Amino acid sequence: MKKKGMGLACLFLLVAISFVAAGNIPKDTLVMAMNTEIFKTFDPGVCFEVEPSAFVKNIYANLVTLNVVNGAFTPVADLAEKWEQSQDGKVWTFYLRKGAKFANGDTVKASDVEYSYRRAIRLKKSPAWLFTDTLGLTEESIKAVNDTTVTITTNGAPANVVLSVLAANIGGVLCEKEVKAHETNGDMGMAWLTDHSAGAGPYVLKEWKRKTQIVLTENKNYYGNQPAIKTILLRDMPEASDRYLALKKGDVDVAYQITVEAAAELRDKKDGSVSLFTNPGQSLEYVAMNASWGPFKDVRVRQAVKYAIDYDAIINKVREGFAIKNQQFLAIGYFGYKESNPFTRDVAKAKKLLADAGYPNGFEVEIVTNESEIRRAEAVVVQSNLADIGIKSNIVIMQAAQMYDKYRNQGLQMIVAGWGIDYPDADALAKPFADYTVKQLAWRNAWLDDKAAAMTAAAGKEINEQKRAQIYRDLVKYWQDNGPFAMLYQPIDFWGIGKDLKGFDKAYEGYNVHCDFTLISK
Amino acid sequence: MELGSFIIKRLSLMVLVIFGVLIIVFIVTRIIPADPVGAILGGNAPPEAVDAMRHQLGLDKPIFAQLVDYLGGIFRGNLGNSLVSSRPVITDILEYLPATIELAISSIIFAVVLGVTLGLLSAVFRNRFIDHFSRVFSILGISLPGFWLGLIMILIFYYKLGWLPSGGQYDMFVFPTRTTGLVLLDAMINGEWNVFFNGIKHLILPTFILGYSSTASIARIMRASMLDVLHQNYIRTARAKGLPKKVVILRHALKNALIPVITIVGLEFGGLLSGAVLTETIFSWPGLGRYIVNSLLTLDYPAISGGTIFIALMYSVVNLAVDILYAAVDPRMRA
Repeated sequence: MKKKGMGLACLFLLVAISFVAAGNIPKDTLVMAMNTEIFKTFDPGVCFEVEPSAFVKNIYANLVTLNVVNGAFTPVADLAEKWEQSQDGKVWTFYLRKGAKFANGDTVKASDVEYSYRRAIRLKKSPAWLFTDTLGLTEESIKAVNDTTVTITTNGAPANVVLSVLAANIGGVLCEKEVKAHETNGDMGMAWLTDHSAGAGPYVLKEWKRKTQIVLTENKNYYGNQPAIKTILLRDMPEASDRYLALKKGDVDVAYQITVEAAAELRDKKDGSVSLFTNPGQSLEYVAMNASWGPFKDVRVRQAVKYAIDYDAIINKVREGFAIKNQQFLAIGYFGYKESNPFTRDVAKAKKLLADAGYPNGFEVEIVTNESEIRRAEAVVVQSNLADIGIKSNIVIMQAAQMYDKYRNQGLQMIVAGWGIDYPDADALAKPFADYTVKQLAWRNAWLDDKAAAMTAAAGKEINEQKRAQIYRDLVKYWQDNGPFAMLYQPIDFWGIGKDLKGFDKAYEGYNVHCDFTLISK
Repeated sequence: MELGSFIIKRLSLMVLVIFGVLIIVFIVTRIIPADPVGAILGGNAPPEAVDAMRHQLGLDKPIFAQLVDYLGGIFRGNLGNSLVSSRPVITDILEYLPATIELAISSIIFAVVLGVTLGLLSAVFRNRFIDHFSRVFSILGISLPGFWLGLIMILIFYYKLGWLPSGGQYDMFVFPTRTTGLVLLDAMINGEWNVFFNGIKHLILPTFILGYSSTASIARIMRASMLDVLHQNYIRTARAKGLPKKVVILRHALKNALIPVITIVGLEFGGLLSGAVLTETIFSWPGLGRYIVNSLLTLDYPAISGGTIFIALMYSVVNLAVDILYAAVDPRMRA
């Protein structure tokens, strides 16, 4: 009798468990899968990571936003319906649209803009340098003239730079009243804004259960059209194969960060239930040589390395074709970009350059990269290519904390790494790659070239667009001939998406500079 | 030694062990030639931003001054703020700990029930089919990589058969009420039975994967111990007295054979509580293991120290419990 009871209880449990099945995804809900470990905060004054930024963009409205028009990022009105620039290009006046409201129903005022921007400067968090260094802003630079007018006094940076920075996350406008109500110990609401929102964008942050899921719901007070997708659920799945299986099973609509092999499978074997969306990535992948280290002091050795590398093998084998050959620091579609790929693998030429530099038998060098599978594979290809011209290289894999510490102190001989673009203007790329005075990539690789630095600075100040574009083209040529960088490629980003999804291509065009969930429907 | 004095002695040793772990972790993380701020801000951050943050976090102070600050915080019950999440480390740990406890408990229950049963049957039916099966099962459990087996199980039971979910503690459209953080317990407290059954369903695969190697260890120890006991004179005497085999095994042999198993169960449970990063990663389980490993990768000093203290504490408590159990069972252990 007892055994029979136990058996019945087990049967009941099994039946109960099997009936609690996952439901289908509703039409007005978008489910995405991603490794959400990168999410640290939803505070627009603090968030600076790529994937989280795309979500923050959909929670906060800015004065202006960037849309992709004919392949180029173009500033368009967001909270500001129009704007003016002073004669000297330094003072910008923005006129706010009437009737725009925050999610809590409060009207968006110029004082909210002033508070948000001053707050970002005072917090001094990761993105603050975009305001302070790139635009030269101080807290006094932002003034609310009246409820609908705000002025911003910059250092005279070109218009595209100013508008691009204002369209970035740091330019997200917060509801001053709500943030102040949640201040603790003078933190300007930073702790609260980590997992709450106070914006005027199309969505609000409803829940962030760390390492489980993030839920956005529609902002019913949004000034624009109400989105077709009312709920966005970002499910944490740290393992790429889990995300891929969940997509194929129909349990998620979008799978982020699938492997290149899975992406190639989706591209090559179309099965109808899921597809692949690709987009030129907002980053660049490079090999860099320390110009103050041994043989790399000689420009001919640096050129030899550039001619030794098999760019096509890296693009086609390591990236399975998910990359675009781009051997300059300007990304495709950016101001001043003109295709220029002068380097193809030429072992004989590379060997001659090495011999001319006094290294006919090569030398030994250490290549450092991080633990990313792609980077390690790239380093192996580069190692093999260098061996063909007599350079013996040893690959050292370092954790990011260790690698950046050494890199920032000019302590690496050679590195395989990447660079994410901070704002979509040529200035955001020329500075790190060519101007050592900003102490970014050119400095880290000890390429202390005054001519390149001067050209970068001149282009950064030039208001005349034709002249500015010409400076960048001249700089690219000089940089390719003399610089310490072998630019491997510009990646193509990809997502696995479900068959029911519409408008994903427009929503993610230009990701993550532009990412608009309101364009997605089912 | 009295049991009370024995416990006090072990508790004092535990405090010393945790303090030692704290000092070692603090020094080791600081002498590694790496820069956590650089990793946190990313490769693009200009040097001014890196310096400003280093100053803000007090990482530009001498190591000794940082140690004094840190120890001062610990004595006030403050483990510091995580460099990555900016939240108090204790908040982070308490958020992820329940998921780890839940998985560890279910895994150890699974491992003990299956391991003891297999070990017992294996010893009693030595060199018979069940013994061979148990030994092969144990060897596979110890030698098969958990992450590989986990992926295979997901492929079969989630993707092909659709019987079980691939990961997480519950389905995406389930929103449980949080009381203790333990999903199953909260579901029972709040009468959310759909959440309870949903949670059980999500526990099955990670429990099996995490508990399998422990099952194997327990089964092997249990088998050896049982074989040893079955050859003891008192067992022979009991059999000679005419007691049925079942009674001799379950009433006389099993209790004594379980003593060495207690040690291994304690160690295994301590290990499970310290987090299982691979299982947590494969099954999207929001536990402490992933938190600590990510802290290590970003060199998040306060989180590494806080997490390590918690692991040391859990190991110590479990070992203490095992020792007390031992001492209670066998007074010779108190010497």
